[in-house]
Amino acid sequence: MKNRLRVLRAERNWSQADLAQRLEVSRQSVNAIETGKFDPSLPLAFKLARLFETTIEDLFIDEG
Amino acid sequence: MLCKATNPAQRRFFARFTVAMLAYVLFLLPVVWGFVHFRPTGVLAYVLAVLPALPIVAMLVVIGLYLAEEKDEFVRNLQIQALLGGIGGILAVVSVWGLLEDFAHAPRLDLFMAYPLFWVFVGISTAVVRMRYR
Repeated sequence: MKNRLRVLRAERNWSQADLAQRLEVSRQSVNAIETGKFDPSLPLAFKLARLFETTIEDLFIDEG
Repeated sequence: MLCKATNPAQRRFFARFTVAMLAYVLFLLPVVWGFVHFRPTGVLAYVLAVLPALPIVAMLVVIGLYLAEEKDEFVRNLQIQALLGGIGGILAVVSVWGLLEDFAHAPRLDLFMAYPLFWVFVGISTAVVRMRYR
């Protein structure tokens, strides 16, 4: 699923490793989500939204 | 499957797996020695023969515990895919080989080879899965 993670992360000057540490996941997980190869679960999506102070709808682009 | 531990669940997995492997060796060596020198029969033979299999069963439990404890859902997803590849691979091999043995008189494949072969397929599957997410 396409998303705005890379943009939001860049705005905060966070590396993938920084974001991974904040999410308590591996850097590979952040990379997989960011590149749209892996869709996070709802709890992780909410965690991401809270971290970026936004909504899930704003983070992920629904192409359905 | 895993190559190195990067979180507490993986460290616990490696520790438990190492203990189970050591138990396997510790059980297997005296059992082989016992069968070679004393040729036990009956119930004793059954009990001794099963002993080295218990750590193998424990290894499977250790894998299950790891999957239950791994908090990184992406990593857990990779491991599950790799394990499914291993299960699928070994099921395919024993199914095909079983029929080859029955109908084409292929050489007998010992059942205990299923476990090491399972890990061979897990290894292949891990490489394929990792390439997909690279």
